[in-house]
Amino acid sequence: MSWSYKNHLRTSSMSKAITNPLRIGLRQERVISPQCLVIFGASGDLTHRKLVPALFELFKQRRLPSEFAILGCARRPWSDEDFRQKMQNSLKEVIQEDPTTWEHFVQCLFYEPVDLQKQEDLVSLSKRLEEIDKIRATHNNRTFYLSVSPKFYAGGCKALSNAGLLKDPKRSRVVIEKPFGRDFRSAQNLNQIVQNCAKESQIFRIDHYLGKETVQNILVLRFANTIFEPIWNRNFISSVQITAAETVGVEDRAGYYESSGALRDMVQNHLTQMLAITAMEPPGHFDPEAIRNEKAKVLKSSRLANEIEPWKCCIRGQYAGGGSQSHPLIGYREEPGVSPNSSTETYVAMKVFIENWRWQGVPFYIRTGKRLAKRLSEVVLTFREAPVHLFDTAGGTPTSNQLILRIQPNEGAIFKFEVKSPGSGMKSRPVEMNFSYDQSFGEPSDEGYVRLLADAMLGDPTLFTRSDEVEAAWKLYTPLLQIIENNPRDLPIYPYESRTWGPEAADALLAKDHLLWRRP
Amino acid sequence: MSPQLTLQTPIQLPPSEIPSYLEQLWSKDQPSNSGANTFSLLIWQPSWLEQKLIRTGRLKSPIEGNQRNELIEAARKVVLEKDLPHSTPPLESIVCNSLIPQNENKSITDLRGQHVHRAISALQPRRLITLAPTLNGKNKLETLVAAYCPLLEESGSDSACGDVVVFRGGMDSIKEGLDIVENLIPEELPSWIWWNGYLDEAKPMLNKLASSGRRLILDSALGDPYYCLELLKSKTCKDQAINDLNWLRLRSWRESLAMVFDPPKRREILQNIVNIDIDFEGENPVQGLLLAGWIADRLNWKIVESIPSDEEIIEAKFKRDDDYIVHLKLISLPVGRPSIHPGQIVGIRLICKSNERSNNDVCVILGAESTECMRLEAGGMASMELIEEVVPNQFTSVEMDVARLLKSCRGSTSPLLSKAAPLAYELFKLVKK
Repeated sequence: MSWSYKNHLRTSSMSKAITNPLRIGLRQERVISPQCLVIFGASGDLTHRKLVPALFELFKQRRLPSEFAILGCARRPWSDEDFRQKMQNSLKEVIQEDPTTWEHFVQCLFYEPVDLQKQEDLVSLSKRLEEIDKIRATHNNRTFYLSVSPKFYAGGCKALSNAGLLKDPKRSRVVIEKPFGRDFRSAQNLNQIVQNCAKESQIFRIDHYLGKETVQNILVLRFANTIFEPIWNRNFISSVQITAAETVGVEDRAGYYESSGALRDMVQNHLTQMLAITAMEPPGHFDPEAIRNEKAKVLKSSRLANEIEPWKCCIRGQYAGGGSQSHPLIGYREEPGVSPNSSTETYVAMKVFIENWRWQGVPFYIRTGKRLAKRLSEVVLTFREAPVHLFDTAGGTPTSNQLILRIQPNEGAIFKFEVKSPGSGMKSRPVEMNFSYDQSFGEPSDEGYVRLLADAMLGDPTLFTRSDEVEAAWKLYTPLLQIIENNPRDLPIYPYESRTWGPEAADALLAKDHLLWRRP
Repeated sequence: MSPQLTLQTPIQLPPSEIPSYLEQLWSKDQPSNSGANTFSLLIWQPSWLEQKLIRTGRLKSPIEGNQRNELIEAARKVVLEKDLPHSTPPLESIVCNSLIPQNENKSITDLRGQHVHRAISALQPRRLITLAPTLNGKNKLETLVAAYCPLLEESGSDSACGDVVVFRGGMDSIKEGLDIVENLIPEELPSWIWWNGYLDEAKPMLNKLASSGRRLILDSALGDPYYCLELLKSKTCKDQAINDLNWLRLRSWRESLAMVFDPPKRREILQNIVNIDIDFEGENPVQGLLLAGWIADRLNWKIVESIPSDEEIIEAKFKRDDDYIVHLKLISLPVGRPSIHPGQIVGIRLICKSNERSNNDVCVILGAESTECMRLEAGGMASMELIEEVVPNQFTSVEMDVARLLKSCRGSTSPLLSKAAPLAYELFKLVKK
């Protein structure tokens, strides 16, 4: 038995109260083949906040082979030791729980100062990789992770290609972070450049929402059960709401956020992926291309509810101050790094239609925002009302059935339906049937990056967005982006108080259809 | 999934010429012609039952070596015809031994090694070496070789070619050919040995083939139970990758039992188990013992004693962490139409009693999908909370199970098996004493 597993068993038996001892070791995860993961932007936030913790988690789960290395690359002139020390400092709390495993893991960490724009740096990178191949037996297999500013994606791929590091499609892959482009045209250009450097099968465009267990569960819920699919269409569903709400403000991301806004930061990628998974047709089989084909198809069929006058189906907002006297919250325009006249949206709500046989006429309402009342992501499917109301309702009006897929927090699903209210009459009232990941499984699911990093290193693209998906997603929002760019007054920014559910105009968007946003 | 034949008719060559023939086939100077860079699989493929069924006219030739439905059905008929106990699994050695073929020299088409199951061929093995002993132990060694390009179902996937080598002949001649076999296993690739026969046959050959660097696939349900457990224990204690198909078939039981205790509010029940009953088909207790060993290991119980109460029951006592005693009963059940694999589990019952809160007493019953488990439901559980689950049957063939193992690329023994196997052996050893 390997040392790490022994340690894992020891830890698990010590923490009986939280771990199911019969569950340990039963997950038969796929094993990653020997390789070196090269992280560009290794001195950045994402590396120490998400990537290295995710890799450490994979190591603890015995999912990384012994022939494995992580090579951090950035412009800073660090040594291997510096890099190891920095990571150790950042992961202090996690390491405390399992210092022995960290001692072994840290041996996998290496560092090479690299400026992707300098030819000579690429030469020394190649040499370093060859050295690592020898000492860690990584067999020339490499995954390059571009955790750099989006403006370096194209240049980074070109540099890797010119250095011959993407030559073998079976041994090298590139992972590219979001945002992939700023609009349809730039995404198309970037795709062309990247595809000139590597085959599509080598390119992994990451969207960490797809790494969430609950997002993947939408696929299982829909296609592993027979009860949902027959009613998953316009005949039974009257509307769909997709929400991703945050309570935090822009925090230290003002520089990036000012040029992006909620539409580019959240809607084009995360919410659109949720839309695609919720609305796609069943794939013929569980195969990466079959799934991505269906996602791309549904995105290509999607359009804004009013493309000619988009302001009639889209609301933008920006958080103003709020909070309480003891905990006041500043507005977006007062945040450090934000222009006092900023017209960047921190909230966006819109109505979308999918023009296909399944969804014709069913509105999909999408909203996301910062500094909203609650942190939550969910998909709500509202079913059509009963054709005849036979019973009085305790609440006055009958409630439509709803299926609520909770992405985060309190991951799970709720089904709302009517039952007889106790008593001598025949009044109905709504109740909820609840599935909770916590109550059923009792173990936290892995961070999205754990799953996605593993999949990228396994060469499994199922949960990564393909070039046509990215382009279709940008195309869907092109009318809005054009207005924001050219006639921003047509799409005004409505201020909303911090820690509320967004501007009133967003409520009016649904009120026109005699609907309400769900207030969880 | 129908098996795939090699595209090329195998060439019969003298054994000594095979290494040079294969070397010519895969020229290292031409990278495009170097063959699949995957793994090699050496299969001990006696197919005694299939050979006898064909030679006694109960099954159509050719000999394929795969576990096909016709073979199983023919074996079930033998159980009835030879008046064997109805619980006798069709692959049990007693079925095979009951058949006495008349003419062992009659020529029969033998496609062992050339009839590759699609699930295995899809993995694009670099080299498949089959040892195919004939019923007539005096037959001379025949060696066949062919290049082999799997036809992949998924269009667009790149197919990489390999080769098949077959050693066919009487037992003595195959033993003589073993030195050549050793030379044919590519050192640079992971090598698997699949012992597709009874574990207590040809023991020296098994030991010779299963040298430490190779990954061994075996089935502890085939052969004398005590010997199987002893072998499993000794191999798991050594630094050798062991993959037991009998353990693999336990996965739905392990998964279902773990699933019962996934909800955090049920975790406490696990600390209060006082009785375990495991029912298994027929007379082979190995799978039941492995399940008991796994539970005992995961819950940190220590064996106190194991008592043979009668032929059909194995009883044992464990000590929990808190010194309470847990009683285990492994009970052999006769069944009308047994599974093809000997000793499959039929049901398990856990009784959990809390000293502090008697209203928290729980009875957990897991029953096989295909078999009634009324015995477990009987008797005095009315006051307990009852948790019942049905464990799905696994209909996969042995070839599919092997393919799953090969695909997993696991180069080490499951840590759970390496803990459970010694405990299972200890339990049985105490009974044997």
